[in-house]
Amino acid sequence: MTYDFLIIGSGISGALIARELSKYDVKTILLEKENDAANHATSANSAIIHSGYDPDPGSLKAKLNVEGNKLYDQLEKELDIPLFKNGAFMVAHDKDEEGLLERYLERAKTNGVPGVALLDQAEAKKLEPNLADSVTKVLNLPTTKVTYPWEVAIASIENAVDNGVLFEKNQTVEKIDKQDEYYVIKTAEGTTYQSRYVINAAGAYAEQIAKMVEKNVQYHITPRKGEYIVLDRRVQGFIKRTLYPTPDEKGKGVLMVPQFHGNILIGPNSELQSSLDDASTSKGGINVVKEGANRLAKNIPFHQTIRTFSGVRASSTHHDFYIKPSLEQPGFIHVAGIDSPGLTAAPAIAKYVVETLIIPQETLPINKHFNPRRQAIKLYDDMSLSERQEAFKADQRYGNLVCKCERITEGDIVRHIHRAVKGDSVKAIKKRARAGAGICQGGYCEHQIIKILAKELGKTPLEINYFAKGSNILKRETKVKS
Amino acid sequence: MKPYDIVIIGGGAAGLAALKGAYDKSLNICLIERDKTLGGILKQCIHNGFGLHHYNEELTGPEYAERGIEEVLGLNVDIFTDTTVVDVVKENGTFELMLMNTKKGEHRIKAISTIISSGCYERTRGAIQLPGDRPAGIMPAGSAQRHLNIDGYMVGKKVFILGSGDIGLIMARRMTLEGAEVLGVAELMPHSNGLTRNIVQCLHDFDIPLYLSHTISDIKGKSVLESITISEVDENFDYIEGTEKTFEVDTLLLSVGLIPDINMFDSLKFEVSKKTGGAIVDQTYQTSVEGLFACGNALHVHDLVDFVTEESTKAGQQAKAYILNNKKRSKNTLYVTPSSNISYILPQTLDMDDDFNEVVLSLRTTTNALTGKFHVYQGETLLFSEKAKFVVPAEMEKIKIKKEHLKHSGPISILFEVVSQ
Ligand SMILES: Cc1cc2nc3c(=O)[nH]c(=O)nc-3n(C[C@H](O)[C@H](O)[C@H](O)COP(=O)(O)OP(=O)(O)OC[C@H]3O[C@@H](n4cnc5c(N)ncnc54)[C@H](O)[C@@H]3O)c2cc1C
Ligand SMILES: Cc1cc2nc3c(=O)[nH]c(=O)nc-3n(C[C@H](O)[C@H](O)[C@H](O)COP(=O)(O)OP(=O)(O)OC[C@H]3O[C@@H](n4cnc5c(N)ncnc54)[C@H](O)[C@@H]3O)c2cc1C
Repeated sequence: MTYDFLIIGSGISGALIARELSKYDVKTILLEKENDAANHATSANSAIIHSGYDPDPGSLKAKLNVEGNKLYDQLEKELDIPLFKNGAFMVAHDKDEEGLLERYLERAKTNGVPGVALLDQAEAKKLEPNLADSVTKVLNLPTTKVTYPWEVAIASIENAVDNGVLFEKNQTVEKIDKQDEYYVIKTAEGTTYQSRYVINAAGAYAEQIAKMVEKNVQYHITPRKGEYIVLDRRVQGFIKRTLYPTPDEKGKGVLMVPQFHGNILIGPNSELQSSLDDASTSKGGINVVKEGANRLAKNIPFHQTIRTFSGVRASSTHHDFYIKPSLEQPGFIHVAGIDSPGLTAAPAIAKYVVETLIIPQETLPINKHFNPRRQAIKLYDDMSLSERQEAFKADQRYGNLVCKCERITEGDIVRHIHRAVKGDSVKAIKKRARAGAGICQGGYCEHQIIKILAKELGKTPLEINYFAKGSNILKRETKVKS
Repeated sequence: MKPYDIVIIGGGAAGLAALKGAYDKSLNICLIERDKTLGGILKQCIHNGFGLHHYNEELTGPEYAERGIEEVLGLNVDIFTDTTVVDVVKENGTFELMLMNTKKGEHRIKAISTIISSGCYERTRGAIQLPGDRPAGIMPAGSAQRHLNIDGYMVGKKVFILGSGDIGLIMARRMTLEGAEVLGVAELMPHSNGLTRNIVQCLHDFDIPLYLSHTISDIKGKSVLESITISEVDENFDYIEGTEKTFEVDTLLLSVGLIPDINMFDSLKFEVSKKTGGAIVDQTYQTSVEGLFACGNALHVHDLVDFVTEESTKAGQQAKAYILNNKKRSKNTLYVTPSSNISYILPQTLDMDDDFNEVVLSLRTTTNALTGKFHVYQGETLLFSEKAKFVVPAEMEKIKIKKEHLKHSGPISILFEVVSQ
């Protein structure tokens, strides 16, 4: 198969680039090595759409962060994605940290962040009563938002697919050769693709991909892990805004982030590691996270913890995002070093890649049929009474409550299985429909979800994976089924 | 529609016994069960050891459930299976329950009194913050039990179990009998959390090692579980370096605690005990919301179903009395609080205007003892002491208090003195 553009990696970067390219009448394919889209950094981060107070003025990060933040409002309308406009406070505890607040206030203004201001303790406490008592002053960052990262990526891919892009998962790019004007891309699974352009959006693996085509890769990925704990959504309202400490040499520090669905994320720490994909958690890391959080808020309901996880930042020796054409091979584009604020910047990164790096080289005909809109599948629990009645009339499976913690019905699950980017594993259903994402973490509903998946996909329960290929939960039958 | 006098949520051992206790020809009663059949968790407990107290014979879980079901089948009550209670509110003195099923979708019923007997759920890996990778192959022991005993699927070949709760112990034996290799059970505490008979019959009889004061310090496996590492812990539960042992396994079962499953009823805003995770009740099993009762594992986790039946029958009887005697809750409340070496006592309050001669307090200790003494105080006054033998946290203890003992309105507290260990 021959394509104009082949994108490697279906994280938020690859997903939004695919969608951006679907505005043009070109043949684009998006490849992903995992069994679902958005399973690396894009599924393990703080979910914040940062305002842009942090990046060095003049950097690509600063520019794309502020632009990306604005573009999310447009994405919310077009892709019907969750966006929680809750704002943020950066908190200070003493004169030194108050000095830092002033500095970040200035930096935010330079970067063009709207609405920033300093608030004293009393004003801040009025807005966030659970702020730690030791907090003396805060920097108000009202344009900070929170999204649901993998849903944004999946929604973008769905919209791209709707507009003609191909998406293939379980394809691990292993080898890239240049033959005349074409790149020949081979995957470990044995498929070969040809494409005029290759866009390397492989996250932490970007350097590995780059080495397949370049002798001297201009950056080196230095992965940094970040661990989190998740509080149950019953803590909703404990804090309204995202709380940041003042940044240190390791980065933005341990945050508390209220999520769209009511949970609170607490984390991350920041530890350099050599592995690109070690996303394990550790007792020490989780302790650092708890200690950090106690400087932000008081009486944190840690007993409502339902899960821990971690993600790997694809930081690089370039420090800024490395979004450039290859110096060695024309038609190969790096979207690398996309660490924080990569989620925020992603819509701006996609535009930058297409409008600044590709269009000057190549006239792209407009896709006249481009439809910018995608409609989310509304969950039963989010419907109005009349919508629920309608939904049940059309499909009685909406009457079967499967996940009791998050109140997800069989009707919801079936629809999420059959999305354009299929939800065909237990974890993919958790990512899409939130079934199993609550306090019992699937203890009650997993056996039902396996059965529903098997029925809808025409498989046996033994063939249903937890996530990756070969990760089936049920191993063998013990008796003949009636 | 006329409200029911009593609606019972959940048709496990507790709901069935509550129904029997509440039954009266003059009352309009309804029981709702989300599963296809009645019986609750007992249906997946195919081992025996049930009913020694209540029926004086040893039954399997399904047999015990069957008896409970037979006892209520002839009664003139409404039983709805395959129906989930998704929300309950109380408005103008009446409970309104929102139900869901595939026949009618969402619909509502009303009740003057409600009994919560919705059982419990299993504590998860996330809640106890186990470190390491997050591959497939890690699940609560009860989930594995369900896959195996109800649906007929094995979840692995080489198994390790964290936590010595009864379900974990039972599953150690069950998985072994089905051909899996169980490499060990690790328990954080210096004592087991399961019934002594289960330690003997499920671990010792099969030479499965029990590692006390050990926990999981690492989990490896990118997409599927490859190995786990356990470490011994010190008195602060910190890993002791150099004590690591690694086991190559494809399955890790967790038996690290059960929690009353009552989140569906958050809208009722009844008071919940931090210790039990269930409602705070008085001796009539009434919660802080008038007319709302709770029993069985939804109230506090029981080790023996017989006690569930006993407690829930009483809760049913009390709900019946509440309706028939048109009783109002009094303000004359006495608090019952755990003191040294006691983790919790139930009920947590006594309604002193209630007509009772004595109450049975259920309690759990925090330590093991070969012999010991319970001391029951009211305020500063020692009411009485009681000797006890072979006390373990995993097994519930019972203490009777007579109303005539109670001298004033001061709170009752109980402490446990370890005599020999
Ligand atoms: C702990 C943490 C917290 C963060 N918090 C925030 C935040 O609050 N706000 C914010 O804006 N940003 C945040 N970020 C940054 C943000 O999450 C990332 O910048 C963003 O998700 C990167 O997306 P990506 O698509 O570039 O990479 P990824 O999401 O990692 O996607 C890369 C994809 O490429 C695939 N791939 C790799 N190799 C191959 C191959 N050979 N063949 C095929 N496919 C391949 C991978 O499987 C993966 O799916 C955070 C990051 C971390 C780790
Ligand atoms: C694995 C295991 C092993 C055990 N082994 C022994 C043993 O060997 N010997 C012994 O004596 N005891 C044993 N026990 C203890 C005893 O069996 C249980 O404590 C007892 O059966 C619990 O009864 P229950 O009715 O409180 O809860 P459950 O049996 O859990 O019943 C609760 C019921 O409520 C239903 N329900 C919940 N929420 C809703 C809702 N919102 N709407 C409608 N319905 C709902 C559930 O579907 C369920 O049927 C064991 C328990 C377990 C879990």
